[in-house]
Amino acid sequence: MKKYRSRIMIASISVIIAMSALYFTFTEEISVQLEEAVFVTHTGGVIKTTGEVLDPLYTSATMEFDPMKYLREFNYGKVSQLPDGTTLREFTIIAEDDKVMEVSPGVFFNVWTFNGTVPGPTIRATEGDLVRINFINNGLKSHTMHFHGIHPAEMDGVFEIVGPEGGKFTYEFEAGPVGVHPYHCHVMPLEEHIVRGLYGVYIVDPKEGRPVADEMVMVLNGLDTDFDTENNFYAANTIPFYYQHHPIEINTNELIRIYVVNMVEFDPINNLHLHGNLYKYYPTGTDIVPSFYTDMITLSQTERGIMEFEYEYPGKYLFHAHKVEFSEKGWVGIFLVKDNLDQKSQTGIDYGN
Amino acid sequence: MEISNKSSKGKILASGIIPFAFLILLVAYIFGPGSDLLDFGIPLPEITMEKVDFVDSEILVTVRNTGPIPVEVVMADINDRIQPAAIEPDRFLERYETALVRIPFEWNEAEPYIIGLTIEDGTRFEKEIEAAAPALEPSLELAGFFALIGTYVGIIPVMIGLLWLPFIKRISKNKYHFFLALTAGLLLFLGIDSIEEALEVSEENLAGSFNGALLVVTVVVLSFLGLYYTGEKLVKRAESSRLTKPVAIALMISIGIGLHNFGEGLAIGAAVGLGSIAFSTFLIVGFALHNTTEGIAIAAPMSRGKGLVGKALIGKLAALGLIAGSPAIFGAWIGGFVYSPFTSVIFLAIGAGAIFQVIITLLRWIREEGDKNLSSAAVVSGFAVGMLVMYLTSILV
Repeated sequence: MKKYRSRIMIASISVIIAMSALYFTFTEEISVQLEEAVFVTHTGGVIKTTGEVLDPLYTSATMEFDPMKYLREFNYGKVSQLPDGTTLREFTIIAEDDKVMEVSPGVFFNVWTFNGTVPGPTIRATEGDLVRINFINNGLKSHTMHFHGIHPAEMDGVFEIVGPEGGKFTYEFEAGPVGVHPYHCHVMPLEEHIVRGLYGVYIVDPKEGRPVADEMVMVLNGLDTDFDTENNFYAANTIPFYYQHHPIEINTNELIRIYVVNMVEFDPINNLHLHGNLYKYYPTGTDIVPSFYTDMITLSQTERGIMEFEYEYPGKYLFHAHKVEFSEKGWVGIFLVKDNLDQKSQTGIDYGN
Repeated sequence: MEISNKSSKGKILASGIIPFAFLILLVAYIFGPGSDLLDFGIPLPEITMEKVDFVDSEILVTVRNTGPIPVEVVMADINDRIQPAAIEPDRFLERYETALVRIPFEWNEAEPYIIGLTIEDGTRFEKEIEAAAPALEPSLELAGFFALIGTYVGIIPVMIGLLWLPFIKRISKNKYHFFLALTAGLLLFLGIDSIEEALEVSEENLAGSFNGALLVVTVVVLSFLGLYYTGEKLVKRAESSRLTKPVAIALMISIGIGLHNFGEGLAIGAAVGLGSIAFSTFLIVGFALHNTTEGIAIAAPMSRGKGLVGKALIGKLAALGLIAGSPAIFGAWIGGFVYSPFTSVIFLAIGAGAIFQVIITLLRWIREEGDKNLSSAAVVSGFAVGMLVMYLTSILV
C-alpha cells in the first residue's frame, strides 16, 4: 500500500513537471487567432498581424498637446499702454509637475509643464516692450522662470526660488535683445527640471518688424522616459514622428520662417537638415542679415536661430536631424508643399496689437 | 473501541486541516478588498525576452511579463532605433503571460543586434543577440542532420568508450576499483557541469521571478529522489541473483548519462540554432571526446557481470549505449526546433539529479565490493583522475 502510494506520488510529480515544461514551451501556440490588422514598415512593406500594431508612426494617439496648434501659436500677452507710451505685455504662467502625458502612442510619462504643455507657451514681444510674467508655481517642487536675454539680476529666475503649491513671483523686464531665446526653469537639479519639460520659446521682434512670412516655432527636444540619462525619444515639438504622420502644409513661393530652439539634453548636439532646399540662417535671430545659406545647421544646448526659406516645387519634403539616430527616434517631419498661389496661409503678422 | 478510534482519526484530520484554514484566511485578508495597508514600496514592472528568432525580413521576439504587475508593451526598437511592429495576441500582458512581438527588419546574418521593448511607463528593456542567424525551419533534412550530430556526440563516443570493457574485465580487483572510482569522478564532474549550465541558462534567459537557482536545486533534488527510489527497487530486485546487479547499476548509469546527454543535445541544437556553425563543429568534437569517457562509466560495472558473454553481452552493451547516447539526438531536435530556456533548465537539472543518484549507487557498490573501504589509494586516485580527465576534455568544449 505504502509503495503504491509513493509510486503515485512520483508519477504525479513527473506529470506535473512534464506538463509545465510543455506549457512553457508551447504557450504561443495555445493563443487564440484574432482578425487581422495591417501596418506599413519603414521600408514600405505591408505587414498583416492578428494582434495589435505597435507603431509610433501610423497609430494616432489622442493627445492633449497638439503639436500642429503649437507650431504656429504665438502669445502676445494682455496688451496695455503705460503712461510713457511703452507697450506692456502681461502673461500668466503656471508651473505644474504632476501631469502624466501620452508622449508617444501608449507611452505615459510624467512631464513638468508651463501652462500645461511641453514646450510651454511661446511668449512674443517687440523690442522695448515691457514684459510682465505673473508666475504661479502649482507644482509640488520649487520652480522658477529663467529667460535668456537682457534683464536685471533679480529677474533672472535663479536665486529667487518660487516655492511649491501656490508660490508666486512677478518677472518684469524690457524685451530684448531682438531674436529668439529660450526660457526655462532654473531650479537644481537643473538637468531634471529642464528635461522634464519646463521650457519654452521667447521671441523678441525688431521694432521695424520682419518681412511677412508663414512663421512657426520648432523646439527640438528629447524625452528620457526611463531615467537613464539618455533620451528615449527625440522630436520637433515633443511628440515623436508627429510631423511625419501629419505633414506641415506650406505654399510654394511663400516665405517660411522657423524659430528653432534646441532644448535637447544629454546629447551634446542636435541639428536640422532640410530636404530639397537651403535656408538662410540667422544665429539667435539677433541680426537681420543671414550668416549662412545652408541645409544643415548644428545646434548645441539652447543654441537657436531663425531659418528662412521658400519652396519652388510642390511635393513632400523631409526635414530631420542629420544625427540620424535622433530622426529614427522621432525627430523627423515632412513639409507638404502645395501650389496655392492665391491663398497665403498667413497674411501678415499682427504682433498682437 | 471502534467509535473512539474513529473520533480520534477525525481529530487528527481536523488538527491537520485547521492550520491550512488559517493560512487561507491570512491570504484572503492580505489580498482581500480594503487591505491596502500592506501596499508598501513601488512594484517595478519587468518583462523578459525569452526567445528571439530571425526569420525572413522579420525578427520575432517572445516576451513574458515576469514582474509583479500587469504591463503593456507599446513600442519596439532594434539597436535603439524605433521600429513599427506588431504584438500578438495583444499588448496587455498579465503576470507570466507571453506575447509574440513581430518586428519587420532587414537584418544581416551574423551581425549582433540589441532588441528593445518599451512598456507603457516608458521603461525600455533590452536583449542582446550576439549574431543573427535564420531561425531553423523544421525539415526532414535538418532533422536528419541533428540525428547525425546526436549520433556523433552521443552514441558513437559512448560505444567507443564501451570498447574498454575487455580491458577492464582482465584487470585486478584493485585496478577495477580504480576504474569504478574514476567513473564516479567523471559523473561528479558531469553533474556539476549540468548544474552550472542550468544556472547559466536560467541566469541569461529566465527572469528573476522564476527563482532560477532554486528552480534548479528543486528539480535536481526531485530527480535525485525519484531515481534514488526507483534505483533502489531495481537493485533490490536484482539482488536475488548476483548476476544482474552489475547490469542494474550499469543501466542506472546509462539512464543518468542519457538524461545528461539530452541536456547536451539541447545545448548543441540551440548552438546550431543560433547559427554559429564553426562554434558548433568545435562543440561537437569536444563533446565527442568528452563523452567517450561516459562509455567507460558504463563499461566499468558491466565488466563484473558474470556469465554475460558473447551475443547477450554485446546486445546488452549496445542497448545501454543507446540509452546513454541516443537522448543527444532528441535533445538536438528539441534544442534546434523548439528551444525554450525553461525546458532546457528543467532537463539539465533532471540530468544532474540523475547523475548524483548514480554516484551514490556507485560509491555504495565500491564500498560493498572493496571491503567497506572508500579511502583506498585506488578509489581516491580513481576519483581524482576522473575529475581531472573530465576537466581536461571539457576545455575542448
